[in-house]
Amino acid sequence: MRALAIARASGRRVLRDRVALFFLIILPIVVIVVVGAVAQGFNTFRVGVVDLDGTQASRQLVAELSHASGLAVIAYPSVGSLEKAVARSEINTGVVIPRGLSTDELSARAVTVGVIAEQANSTQQAAGTRVTSVVEEFGARVEAAQFATRYGGSFVQNLSRASSLESSTPRVGLSSQVVHTSQGSLPPGYEYSAPTELVLFVFLMAIAGGATIVETRRLGMFERMSAAPVRPRTIIAGESITYVVIAAVQSLVIVAIGSVVFGVSWGNPLAAAALLILWCLVGAGAGMVAGTFFRTPEQASAMGPIVGIVFAMLGGCMWPLSIVSTTMREIGHATPQAWAVDAWTNLLSNHGDLVTISHELGILVLFALGFFGLATFRLKRMLSSRGA
Amino acid sequence: MSRPPVLECAGLTKSFGTRLAVDGVGFRIAEGEVYGLLGPNGAGKTTTMKMVCGLLEPDKGSISIAGQQAIGNLEVKGLIGYVPQEVALYPDLTAYENLAFLARLYKLGRRTVAARVEEALELTELSDRRNDRLDSFSGGMKRRMNIAAGLLNHPKLLVLDEPTVGVDPQSRHAILERVQAFGREGLAVVYTTHYMEEAERVCDRVGIIDHGRLIAEGTRRELVAQLGEQDRIELNASGDLERLAEACRAVDGVSSAATAENSVHLVATEGRHLLPAILEAADAADISITSVDVVEPDLEAVFLNLTGTALRE
Ligand SMILES: Nc1ncnc2c1ncn2[C@@H]1O[C@H](COP(=O)(O)OP(=O)(O)OP(=O)(O)O)[C@@H](O)[C@H]1O
Ligand SMILES: [Mg+2]
Repeated sequence: MRALAIARASGRRVLRDRVALFFLIILPIVVIVVVGAVAQGFNTFRVGVVDLDGTQASRQLVAELSHASGLAVIAYPSVGSLEKAVARSEINTGVVIPRGLSTDELSARAVTVGVIAEQANSTQQAAGTRVTSVVEEFGARVEAAQFATRYGGSFVQNLSRASSLESSTPRVGLSSQVVHTSQGSLPPGYEYSAPTELVLFVFLMAIAGGATIVETRRLGMFERMSAAPVRPRTIIAGESITYVVIAAVQSLVIVAIGSVVFGVSWGNPLAAAALLILWCLVGAGAGMVAGTFFRTPEQASAMGPIVGIVFAMLGGCMWPLSIVSTTMREIGHATPQAWAVDAWTNLLSNHGDLVTISHELGILVLFALGFFGLATFRLKRMLSSRGA
Repeated sequence: MSRPPVLECAGLTKSFGTRLAVDGVGFRIAEGEVYGLLGPNGAGKTTTMKMVCGLLEPDKGSISIAGQQAIGNLEVKGLIGYVPQEVALYPDLTAYENLAFLARLYKLGRRTVAARVEEALELTELSDRRNDRLDSFSGGMKRRMNIAAGLLNHPKLLVLDEPTVGVDPQSRHAILERVQAFGREGLAVVYTTHYMEEAERVCDRVGIIDHGRLIAEGTRRELVAQLGEQDRIELNASGDLERLAEACRAVDGVSSAATAENSVHLVATEGRHLLPAILEAADAADISITSVDVVEPDLEAVFLNLTGTALRE
């Protein structure tokens, strides 16, 4: 087959270019490791706690902090050592529980729990906010317990009663938000970033790789190939095979390292495989379009990442499209990225499978066909009207 | 012409935007004939060749190859060997890999591919460099590879677009010998060049092309006969050559004069007898002539006579 001969020649060229090959493999590894490390870092805040009170009530607050999602609690002996740890960024925030949290006579007055975070440090601020919300919830129960104590029972008894009452009462405001989050976008943290980074990365690399196509074109190779009985669509098909293989290898690297090292789940295997392969095809198609639109290889490698990033932003790879306006969401869905991210969301948040993402897969097929068609049209026109 | 034409084209016309690059060009080439398309830079040679090879679609005109209508006909491409003006090969693949890749595009079996590659390397004397990458080749070797790539499919029609540009005299000699041999072996060859000597030496017939039009065609003898008793005179001089040409045009018997690199070329009736008058005119124009050559009528003279310009300016 002629397309295979073309694929073989360009594949051989890729394999021969050790430097390019190194980056083709190393870059996805870097991407997954960086994303993994950063996302895990953001996932849990380290919280230092000094318990000056040392009572049942204060221990309950510490326990609530450790059970709160995204917080890891480390105990410190003194306020001084806690402050030092915050200053050195060993911990993201510090909590000081003052003496007298639960004594009956003091339960009648306000107690301030100190939260230490540096103003200029956004991570510490975020950690502080998270801690504050846990403390405030606890505070609300303290108030309830104080109120109840006026009518009977000890403060501690009332506090634990308030806690159990609260946990069986749905918190309307918060819970509605949680429901919304889990349906409209991927789970927070690494689970979200790994698939969207894959979507971003594979596409971006493919467009930048269009530089090779521009180079081949400018070498006069496409013209030479068409001096033989070879159609433009055969040339596009042949070159694409190489691109699909490269994209597939990169995807596999990301998926493998993601699952093995960082424990990322990729959802239903069959559906994930279909989505990955289709995304490689979309990327390869976009790479071919880039190869027939850009004039110079430099232009392709400079513009490729820009186009890739803009598409990724519009398509919800950088932030979930559920947080943008309806108009932006609609505009976003003009990019294939949005459909791929939608499909991942469905796979990971709603335990989707091939059937539930078939709509998105169908649209990605159309994108791939559209890109290949456009690239073929461009090459054909170049070859017949101007010379490529 | 008794032998059947391998290539027959007529009325080929091609514009790029508003620029008319080729304007109604037509010619026929028979089996075993080497046809030269001679013309200066930008005359439309490459554009014509690309149309013949199916790489550019003509705006108007017809092309038939081995009796088959060729425009938009994919299969006919298998009968053509194309050697582009610019070397088109992968620099990061070896000579063998490049040729094997191109041979596979003709749907040849594995054995045939290997045999054809060997043969092409042999013909272009590159067998010993088969496993070297193209980017380690000299300019002349790349040119020979470029030709080798045009021979892989055993074409009936071989199209060579200025194959000797940038090649040393020895290699050029070898290439020209080879081209003549192709003709003897029965191939129809189109050979474009702006070197008059090459066209005279290797081509059975020559078409002269200028500004996209084929302005004369025939064997060397036929073309030169158009000049009648005229000679070509080359005046090597320094100074304002344009003024010298102007002065010469005023001399009775000089039919055309044009400037070329460090010289002025004239076509004149009974050139030898005109020399005193020409030198006098040069003197009057205050230009010193370093040497004078009176040349037998040649294609250069034909071109000068037809266009009023030298082939190489
Ligand atoms: N792709 C193109 N786009 C625009 N104009 C072109 C293109 N190709 C050729 N031309 C123009 O067409 C004319 C003929 O060019 P062509 O390359 O056929 O000349 P040529 O005889 O091969 O010249 P040379 O000896 O320099 O190779 C020139 O004026 C050239 O500028
Ligand atoms: Mg040319």
